[in-house]
Amino acid sequence: MSRSMQSLPILSLLLLAACATTPPDVVGAGTQLEARQIQTREYDTLNKAMTMRSVVATLQDLGFTIDQADADLGVVTATRLHEYTMRMTVTVVEREGQRISVRANARIGENSVTDAGTYQDFFVVLDKAMFLTLHKVD
Amino acid sequence: MRRTLPTLRKRGIGALLLSMAMLWGCAASIPKAALRLPESTLEVRAIQTRTLAAPSESDILAATIAVLQDMEFNVDRIEKPLGVITASKVTDADSTSEQTGLFFLDLLCAIGGGSGCGAMLTAQDDQHITLTMVVLPSLARSEEYTVRITIQRVIYDKEDRIRVLERIDNAEIYQQIFDNLRKSLFIQVGEL
Repeated sequence: MSRSMQSLPILSLLLLAACATTPPDVVGAGTQLEARQIQTREYDTLNKAMTMRSVVATLQDLGFTIDQADADLGVVTATRLHEYTMRMTVTVVEREGQRISVRANARIGENSVTDAGTYQDFFVVLDKAMFLTLHKVD
Repeated sequence: MRRTLPTLRKRGIGALLLSMAMLWGCAASIPKAALRLPESTLEVRAIQTRTLAAPSESDILAATIAVLQDMEFNVDRIEKPLGVITASKVTDADSTSEQTGLFFLDLLCAIGGGSGCGAMLTAQDDQHITLTMVVLPSLARSEEYTVRITIQRVIYDKEDRIRVLERIDNAEIYQQIFDNLRKSLFIQVGEL
């Protein structure tokens, strides 16, 4: 018992050493399906162009500047510099039955945002922007 | 001296708690309210947005680009269907008063015999400003366009470390840009 207790500091040092390794984080840590579920919402109120307009307005409301936007591909990339650097990519895709799928993914600094609540917050803001666009409020 | 079992157990548990606390430090912390609208949203939106009358979308876009050139920005990207114009510039962020203060700090440090007196290296060097202008036909009124501007900047020190990371919310700056845009639009339309 006492030996196992004495080895704890060594074990903890070994565990800490794991922090220093740098694996090539190319494919990300989360599961593909789970990430898509929490990052995606479907809408049937506006067309693709008006949805993209709402996405740009949402990102501006959240304090982002737009790095790149492509109406054909339905991609908007934006950055927010405030206390930390946050980058978002939002894609708008037309689905069957005049439905529009919006997917957002975010990174803060070197970390991917995997928290479902954060994406929920984004879609709450987007829902409001979609509502305002639908009712022709600038 | 022989240590007793309870003492070893206490030290072991202490080491375990310490290592867990240190490992916790390795874990990434994501701010919980990162994508929640702040209470100041409506106020900030009002500062950043104006509705302007213009004969056509091409006129207001041309006037907008001209204003960006007037302000010595480089236009990085334009996506006309979305009305998005992204521009940036790098300018000097040197401040004489800051440098004077840091110089005396280094001087005091040197007089006191301290080592590593490098306060001057933390002086602001240059600022990278990025600006997005979104120019779209008004949904509510014809022949009017809504223009919304968002600006942010990063200030680096002499050793290229980030000193400031911020969104620009100063109402006067936005007002000045909109005043310039109105003048630019007047010139643009007058030239036709």
